[in-house]
Amino acid sequence: MSSVEPGEVRVFAQYDRDLTLEADVVVVGSGPTGAVAAKELTDAGKSVVLVEEGPPFVPTEYELDGGLSMARTMREGGLRTTRGTIMPTMQAIALGGGSLVNSAICNRAPAFILDRWCTDFELERTTRADLDPHYEAIAKFLGIAPTPENVLGRRNLLFRDGCNALGYDSEPILRNVRGCRGSGECFTGCRSRAKQSMDISYIPAALRGGARVLTSVRIERILTEGWRATGVVGRVVTPFAGKPSHQVRIHAKAVVLAAGCTATPVLLQKSGNLANRSGQVGENLQFHPGVAIMGIFPDPVYPRFGATQGYQSCHFLRDGLKLETLWAPPAITAVRLPGSGMALKNRLADIPYSAIWDGIATCNRSLGRVRARRRSLDPILSWKLHPADVPVLTHALWILAQIFFAAGARTIVPGVHGIAPELHSLKEAEALRDRPLRATDLVLAGNHVFCTTRMHGDPRLGVVDEMGCCHDFENLYIADTGIFPQCPSVNPMWTAMALAHRSAHHIAQQI
Amino acid sequence: MVTALWAIFLCYAVSRVAIGYPDPRRQHRGLARGEVAFISSAAEAMYPAGGPIPSSGLDADLPGYLERLLAASHLHIRILLHLLFFLVEHGTLLFPTSGRGGMRRFSSQDVEHRVAALDGWAESRLFFRRVVFTSIRAVLTMGYFAHPPVVRSLGLAPLAIDSPICEADLLYPRIGERPESIGMTAADLTAPSEGIPLPQDGPLYPGFAEPPP
Repeated sequence: MSSVEPGEVRVFAQYDRDLTLEADVVVVGSGPTGAVAAKELTDAGKSVVLVEEGPPFVPTEYELDGGLSMARTMREGGLRTTRGTIMPTMQAIALGGGSLVNSAICNRAPAFILDRWCTDFELERTTRADLDPHYEAIAKFLGIAPTPENVLGRRNLLFRDGCNALGYDSEPILRNVRGCRGSGECFTGCRSRAKQSMDISYIPAALRGGARVLTSVRIERILTEGWRATGVVGRVVTPFAGKPSHQVRIHAKAVVLAAGCTATPVLLQKSGNLANRSGQVGENLQFHPGVAIMGIFPDPVYPRFGATQGYQSCHFLRDGLKLETLWAPPAITAVRLPGSGMALKNRLADIPYSAIWDGIATCNRSLGRVRARRRSLDPILSWKLHPADVPVLTHALWILAQIFFAAGARTIVPGVHGIAPELHSLKEAEALRDRPLRATDLVLAGNHVFCTTRMHGDPRLGVVDEMGCCHDFENLYIADTGIFPQCPSVNPMWTAMALAHRSAHHIAQQI
Repeated sequence: MVTALWAIFLCYAVSRVAIGYPDPRRQHRGLARGEVAFISSAAEAMYPAGGPIPSSGLDADLPGYLERLLAASHLHIRILLHLLFFLVEHGTLLFPTSGRGGMRRFSSQDVEHRVAALDGWAESRLFFRRVVFTSIRAVLTMGYFAHPPVVRSLGLAPLAIDSPICEADLLYPRIGERPESIGMTAADLTAPSEGIPLPQDGPLYPGFAEPPP
């Protein structure tokens, strides 16, 4: 079996020899941006090969245990951390990428952020008005809509109540979900098939249009001739173990890299430091570092019921903060609780009475870089939380504490070193506001990653232009969050998809 | 003299690392005997018997869980997990607990000393030690919560959900299988979810339900 038919998905068990394919466009990575690009390009009549390193998951493959789920669906078993300021960060490895295991949050980048991008990074066509048609097209396809009230569950509604009591703006989160049942299982895969992850939405649509999808193929190098990319080459890899076997070579008129903000720069570096005349490939690494607080209420919250992340507040967005509700598999939730022994067991018993809310922060001063590991395509992520950004995160903790007590919490568990493990009143919680804290006192997580191949109008200062085309190559495109010039202050998926949508239409005209 | 000291040190190191561990109740693939002893003793200290959750860490068969987690993990994660076990097991040499026998390996200490040792990691002024504690507690907690009676007692067990059959289910086989194994056609497609909230008292997912008496 040496050819792949239009509309075919190739899975690991089918590879029995080396494979060489021709296409108009090869798209590397099947996450939200790669899937959008593949579908839009097939709709434009182009022949497309979409390549994904991970396997497809069907509901019978979803692992409900949080730890094992991460081990199966995340790169490095979900245990990847940054160096410098140690912070866990995850990247999915599955058909559909992160959309399989994220909570489907869709936010448009605020207009003031996009205006800043245009001003500071010499961009001319990336205002909110420029992107709105692309946002709309994606919203229509995925059914992006506010989380319905009947599946919010008490955990989300308490957040709303707390915000209302304090006069903070809040709203149900817009998500790419149709028919949510409030199972709270977004992070392990939606068994209700309600979340419109790419594997059940954009990728089937691309297949209907004739795209060819290769799963379990790890792209190792970009092929070039002069200043043109001519294709990619990689290997079939076994699911989970990643053991390489047959070679896969795809020749194409254009190459779209949508492997993710940490994988794309590694691929460029491993391909001979491609597209890096600016020296910006792998640089400027940014996150939305997040902090969270657990609150314990007097009455049961039944936290496992309700949309995983159903409510948010953008009230403090201009201060660099976005606040939101959160639920994770019980095992992951429990990891946050302090102590050991019987004290820990007693706290675990409070989980049915608890809610977790988090804040993600805009930390434009906190930068890092991505480098390839030797003899591996896994990245080394170096990143340091700038001391000036620590107060943004402690401010988030203080505001969350206020919202919890305004919503009626009897206790909060801040999980901050140097602060009491449990705080029972707003007065006690003032320690979060008043005590100077260091980065190492906080329990951080950073799952929104940006800027490692940033767009900039000046080729000396950025890797790609506004259409995602590498300044150094006329047909090599990047379509993941690496092209963001700065963090967008809100969840990035919808914006990244909008940029990929625009880029795909541009590519279709160019080839 | 130096050679003799080295010999003594080596004997001590070998005896500390390799000798005196009890035989595990069953073999665990990918885990050494000492690691099984460490995981069991850490589980007992982290999740003792009694209290609001009937199951203890020992009941939850955490070595079995770690065996599965290691099997599902990449090589360098496996190496890191083995290092983590080693570090906490023998970290009592560098960070002994107070009282007699505070420098004995973690798994050879009594429960009170083990809890004190864990608290020492958790509350250390050294960030590195706190990270180690967070890591060991994370893997143990994930294993503890993989034990169905634990999540059942907290009302957190997953419910049974009938997944609608959608177009994607006709495209993707189970991992490792060929498309011919899918065994469904367009005639098998079902209506998508209508968004009816899950009932809080619905039947539990198989494997989490209470076994029949």
